Amino acid sequence: MKLYRKEGNILQILSYPGETVEKGDYLLVEDADAGRALIAQVIDVQFASIPGVLEELLRSLPDGGELVKGEDVDPLEIAPHISYIQDASLLICKIRATAENDSLSPSSSWLPSRSQSTIKKLPLPTLLKLAKVDGELPIVIGGTKDSSLLTIDATSLDGRLNIITGKKETGKSHLSKLLMVNLVGYKATVVVFDLNGEYLSLGLTGDGKRNANYDKIHVLTPSQNFKLAIKQLNLHVMLGILIHALHLPGTSAREFRRIWIALKERDSLTLRELGETIRNWNCNQHVRDALFSRYHALVNSGVFTDNIAEATSLEEYLLKTRENGGAIIMNLRNTSSIDRQIVVEYVLGKLVESLGNTKLKAVFLFAEEAHLYLRETYWDDIVTRMRHFGIFTTFITNQPDTIRENIYRQADNIFLFNFTNEHDLDVVSRAARVDAETVRSIARDLPPHHCLALGRAVRDFPIVARVKALDVKTMGETRLFFASSTSQMK
Amino acid sequence: MDTTLPHQFIELSLHSLKRVPDYAFQLNQQSVQQFNSPDIHDETLKLKLEPLHLIPSHKEKIVAAVDTSTMKIGETGTGMIIAVRGANVWKQNKRYRYVRFGPFIFHVTEENKKQVYETLERTYFNSIHEYGHQGAPSILQMPTRIASLLERWLQTMAAKTMNNGLILFDGSLTAGTTETPTHRMKEILDSARKGGNVILAFSKMTNLRADGHRITESLPEHKPPFLLETEGLRLKPPMTLLGEVYVARLTKGNLAFRLDIDKGVASELRVEAVEKLLGNDLFAESYPETLRLAHILCTFTANEVLAMQHFVTRRFGLQIVNRPDMHRLLFGVFGKGEGYS
Repeated sequence: MKLYRKEGNILQILSYPGETVEKGDYLLVEDADAGRALIAQVIDVQFASIPGVLEELLRSLPDGGELVKGEDVDPLEIAPHISYIQDASLLICKIRATAENDSLSPSSSWLPSRSQSTIKKLPLPTLLKLAKVDGELPIVIGGTKDSSLLTIDATSLDGRLNIITGKKETGKSHLSKLLMVNLVGYKATVVVFDLNGEYLSLGLTGDGKRNANYDKIHVLTPSQNFKLAIKQLNLHVMLGILIHALHLPGTSAREFRRIWIALKERDSLTLRELGETIRNWNCNQHVRDALFSRYHALVNSGVFTDNIAEATSLEEYLLKTRENGGAIIMNLRNTSSIDRQIVVEYVLGKLVESLGNTKLKAVFLFAEEAHLYLRETYWDDIVTRMRHFGIFTTFITNQPDTIRENIYRQADNIFLFNFTNEHDLDVVSRAARVDAETVRSIARDLPPHHCLALGRAVRDFPIVARVKALDVKTMGETRLFFASSTSQMK
Repeated sequence: MDTTLPHQFIELSLHSLKRVPDYAFQLNQQSVQQFNSPDIHDETLKLKLEPLHLIPSHKEKIVAAVDTSTMKIGETGTGMIIAVRGANVWKQNKRYRYVRFGPFIFHVTEENKKQVYETLERTYFNSIHEYGHQGAPSILQMPTRIASLLERWLQTMAAKTMNNGLILFDGSLTAGTTETPTHRMKEILDSARKGGNVILAFSKMTNLRADGHRITESLPEHKPPFLLETEGLRLKPPMTLLGEVYVARLTKGNLAFRLDIDKGVASELRVEAVEKLLGNDLFAESYPETLRLAHILCTFTANEVLAMQHFVTRRFGLQIVNRPDMHRLLFGVFGKGEGYS
């Protein structure tokens, strides 16, 4: 390989046949005299611009598109040399760092010697070691192309905002399960908003047996094993549900506050009493109607109950996970949009409350397709205020444009799966820790189950890995119309 | 078609390269791919204005074409490195086929040029052309001379191995030049005739003028395809014309070509040969596809030149240097490079 050009932080390297370099590979451009080396990542492989190649190709197709057959008598064997020149490739590389005396700096301001520099592939294990992408709490993401393991440190997710995104069926949920299981293994508390019921069997192995995490996985399904007694709720949590999930206007909310306080003073905070009080409350008819409609929404959700025995204490579940870690899976499958928002509003409110009174250290929140249940103002809240309380969110989505731009800008880690759509790639490339060329070039060619890890977890060295298999029971598979008929045909 | 490779060509090629001294090797961008017809100005030349209209004959005939190309690929301290390649293309059963020979690479020096050339001549034609007072060709003439030798050999092979076909040459049937001795061209034409073949030579460029105009320009308005006969063309000895010279406009379009057809063939058979060619080959701008392919196949592309430079540096350890361009050096942006001088 030969250094050809450097423009900004882009290197162009001429590579000859036999030097198998692919997108995503790292190269070490070493200038022995300067005593330092550039670490560059291949973001595109192009044909080198060889003069005369077009003529070469054209003359093989002169007869209406059909190849002219013939014999080449080439006694000096020049043909291999022609192929050698013709197949030379140009590697477009992004400079990631400068290595000097075993330490790395993000500088790309110096110019290595074009004639004297040696260029070789930098094996990923060496890079990971140089970049210190390891730690005491390893999470093996998967295997890299050169058969080494990509291991990140769990602490790189701690206090961070993460995004897992990619096209449908590329393996996003699989990676989020992998991260979750590992976090739980390190005794972390994890809360999942499970939109499609994909995480329900994390406690079971692929063949349905209990695994080591069985006792740590708590699945809560609204209106089934997740019910709330009005008495257990704080006023501000209830107001949050009414205002944000059920869009109760301010005037009505003030009346509701009065009703709530009155009922609490009488120690008669029940659904039934709440309904009765609203009916008899001395207030404007419109306010009453507004309150009633919300009251019915609460009742119809099936989440609320007057029976303390069947009520669930989310706090208890959270405390269960405090010592040995655990995951609370909020199963939002088959839950209506409004009910989903009620549950999410409650859970987030309760988390802030629990973290506020330091009952919990921190919670890792995994939110799948959050735009379907997260209200507008929560996005900023999650990445700023809630992060300070100790809620560290991982967004998982196949529609990257549903996550707001400021979330991308503040994301610490992005796990990117395949995208082919330009618009999607545009959105993701707005992330602060990513350069647009890398995202566009590498993400487009990622095979299924391969992710491009970007950000703090990989010390800003984008690395492609095939996400390792997880022995958990698969759930949330798409129900297919033709599945049974095709299997019968087989 | 006989594809027995001229072994002496290979041996000489390798031998000459092995003797490349440890001089630096200077890349050269100049190309010597075209063979020009000898400069002829004959004031007696007339173009008959009555055209010979042609009717394509679709009776199956093999059409073959021969072309060679040469290129100087660099200079050494003692001489130059040249590459030569030739191609035979033929159309049979509506399919084009080819045999391509080369590239052969030679290191030609003042010391070895005579030996290289004479050895090749003796090997392929069992004779040595007398240079007369001119002596051996100069180094600068060597690329075209060696290519010419290969071309004559390829033409001989085509003439000897084909039967009842049409053989297309690139250039004219003018003989008596140092590159094309008369006896050699005669032998080729005789061999072709014996096999029932007709040789037709297309010149891409001609200097022949009639009434002050190039014969391929300012043609009378006739519906192609047609031939225009010439008369009164006389060459200075020892040059001689072994073909009858026509101007051929074979398709619609602006181009016409000088077409030489073997004089030894009866005049009606000459016209018939062109009609058979029209019926058996494709034409674009009056030029036959078989000959176009032969030209395309032997022409060196820039990529191939790079490959040959790569070959001589790798295989024979030549060191490549870039000699400064004097034009650029002296005249800066006004120096357009040696190729423009």
